[in-house]
Amino acid sequence: MALQTRATTIPNRPQPPRRLIKFLFSALGNRYFLYTLSVVMFLAFWDLAAVKKVLGNFLPRPIEVLSQLLSLNTEPLASKTLFEHLWASIHRVLIGWAIGVSIAVPLGIFMGLNPYVRAIVKPVFDLLKPMPPISWISLSILWFGLGEESKVFIIAIGSFVPCILNSYNGIRLIDPALYDAARMMGANRRQEIIEVGFFASAPAIFAGLQISLSIAWSCVLAAELVGSRSGMGFIIILGMNQSSPALIIAGMVVIAITACLISVLMDRLEKMVCPWKRELPQ
Amino acid sequence: MLEEGEGVCPPLKPLSDIRYRLLIKIYRTAYDFFGEMAMMAKENTRGRLLKFIPFISVAAFLISWQLIVQLGVVPKMLLAAPLDVLRLFIDKLTQPHPDGALLYVHVLVSLEEAILGYFLALAIGIPLGLLMGWFHTIEGFARPIFEMIRPIPAVAWIPLTIFWFGIGLSGKVFIIWLSGIVPCVINSFVGVTLTNPTSVQMAKTYGASKWRIFCTICIPSALPMVFGALQMALAACWTTLVAAELIAANTGLGFLITMGRRLTMPDMVVLGMILVGLTGFIIGVIIDAVEKKLLAGIRR
Amino acid sequence: MKNAQVKIEFRNVSKTFIQKETQKVHVLNNINLSVYENEFLVILGPGQSGKTTLLRIVGGLESPTTGEVALDGREITAPGPDRSMVFQTYSLFPWRTVLGNVEAGLRFKGMAKQQRRQIAKKYIELVGLNGFETAFPHQLSGGMKQRVGIARAYANKPVVLLLDEPFGQLDAQTRMLMEKEIIRIWEEEKGTVVFVTNNIDEAIYLGDRIVILEGKLPGRISGEYKVNLPRPREHTDIEFLKLRKKIFNSTELIL
Repeated sequence: MALQTRATTIPNRPQPPRRLIKFLFSALGNRYFLYTLSVVMFLAFWDLAAVKKVLGNFLPRPIEVLSQLLSLNTEPLASKTLFEHLWASIHRVLIGWAIGVSIAVPLGIFMGLNPYVRAIVKPVFDLLKPMPPISWISLSILWFGLGEESKVFIIAIGSFVPCILNSYNGIRLIDPALYDAARMMGANRRQEIIEVGFFASAPAIFAGLQISLSIAWSCVLAAELVGSRSGMGFIIILGMNQSSPALIIAGMVVIAITACLISVLMDRLEKMVCPWKRELPQ
Repeated sequence: MLEEGEGVCPPLKPLSDIRYRLLIKIYRTAYDFFGEMAMMAKENTRGRLLKFIPFISVAAFLISWQLIVQLGVVPKMLLAAPLDVLRLFIDKLTQPHPDGALLYVHVLVSLEEAILGYFLALAIGIPLGLLMGWFHTIEGFARPIFEMIRPIPAVAWIPLTIFWFGIGLSGKVFIIWLSGIVPCVINSFVGVTLTNPTSVQMAKTYGASKWRIFCTICIPSALPMVFGALQMALAACWTTLVAAELIAANTGLGFLITMGRRLTMPDMVVLGMILVGLTGFIIGVIIDAVEKKLLAGIRR
Repeated sequence: MKNAQVKIEFRNVSKTFIQKETQKVHVLNNINLSVYENEFLVILGPGQSGKTTLLRIVGGLESPTTGEVALDGREITAPGPDRSMVFQTYSLFPWRTVLGNVEAGLRFKGMAKQQRRQIAKKYIELVGLNGFETAFPHQLSGGMKQRVGIARAYANKPVVLLLDEPFGQLDAQTRMLMEKEIIRIWEEEKGTVVFVTNNIDEAIYLGDRIVILEGKLPGRISGEYKVNLPRPREHTDIEFLKLRKKIFNSTELIL
């Protein structure tokens, strides 16, 4: 026979209104609830401000931005759809970044390994370092015109600086005890450099690649703003020229999403390439 | 062999051949004397050589730059020699031609915009980040908005800002503020989240309120990271300033660079670039010195 | 151990480091020492007495300023797998798994993969880390990391095993456990061992012979003791404590 107990007292349940208040308070403590609430309130304020014309005709409603985004997908703007413009920008970034990185990383490694190379290269590099890559735009346009080459050049210059810095520091700051351990196990100089130098500096070099990729994305936009016929920068400048803020904001949204995707992709790659890197506490 | 537990003093004697010992002594003194000198001399020449090479390298760079233009390897229209740049620099100190203003006007305008935007970014970004790190409600509200703004590169805001504010001072300050606020918030936020939990627990045992703990423990322990943000925000602000002035401005260093391109005067372009780099560098040095003074003693 | 072969011989070894142009640091002065085959030699001394430098000279990572060190009659000039070292700070390769670390030396030699794996697995089992082959060093505790270090050193089939205060970073319990472990491994693998420590208990527990380095720089050998206690030794054994008192009274060591 199952043991059955009967409640001898009726438990004191809080009244419905108080339960609701308790629930609301606990919800307010929940982080994700706050996030959603914040986003919803932000969109609501935006819509309200747009409708009430707070900034004059300068603020489009969120719906307008969304419809602009969708229409960009289907109707070509200056004979290219949204994805074609996006690809034009990404294409330039990839080429310029690859060029910059393929020069910067070996040079940085050489600088770290050989003090003579460092003494020759570093002072010139330190002179050129404070000049932001965007300031090279004018010079680049003077040299290469308004075509693809000038943009790729800027992107290469922008990717160059953080890569070389990280590669150099990555090699320089390797724990010398690791070299000792390798030598004690019978590695010759070549094996030492490959086993210890390469792997121990890989996380730093990869971090340099990540930073330079986001700088490259920023550079391509700046270059396209100055003069271009395609690309995401072109889209937002067109929006400005056509007094169509919905177009501008739509372009900015796509730019933001792309930047997010790039950084997520690089994070995943890093976990694959350097699985031994310890996770910093969040 | 030694017995157990017996110490042997003095240490073991070497082979007791007297001639051998004498030879060893001579050899040792000679090696001591000459060998050390040789070792130190080798270190010294290498050290001295390494000290000289940087100067030679920079000089070689400047000289080859000058020669490339002077000898016509690169046409004069495309690149300006260092001496030309210097000449223009001295020129523009007193002449408003050809772009309409003296050099110091440009520098001042750029500095004004940058510093305004930078300090505004610090004033809003750092408190916001610190509060976000400690109070969950504030984090819940502010974080999604911040995460939406963060991935947008500052240059992408330029057309929208021009559209809203026009080409004046306020627009540029807005963009610079936007670009500077991101590293401030992030660094302050991380600085507070990395507060030592033991210190917090200690404060709680003394009965401190949440606000009190925030003011007395979280903020001071987050200071090193906050100061790290100062340099990063400055770099971001300065880059954005140049970008903004390149695209839409009437004065300022970025305008100088664009003007040089429009007038096909590469010496103006290079002058603008060098000044941009130099000013950014000097401000960075100043901030570094301020940081060292304020953080003296706190281990980074 | 009569007529034992001399494995390593130090003859009038001195070492001076030159720092920053003119500062000279005399680390070792006139060391004469013989290490016999298959013995467990312990070098005991307080901090900053040159013990690590002594060990590094045997390993070939430093070369003596004067004098010479010979292994089996041939002078030591460079590091090599015939003398394996276990480091105080573990120095494991963080980018390799435990298995990758242990077989690293064999990889440098160019051994085939199958063979490498076999030998590495054998030594991982010997140090008691079965099941952790695919773990990364940052996932291991200090004691486990040092076991990997020991396995890595032994996998190269060294002629001499050098240990540089390997248990210094561990807590007291783990330390005593590791002392037992190293004796167990040594009794199985045999071979010559040179062990550097600053702890008297550890020295007497482990060593066949204890050489004491004086505490001040430049380091000199200030005493030598032979330990004939049968293994496994007890820290509270009366003979152990007698020897301990003797050593304690003759040095500046407090532990």
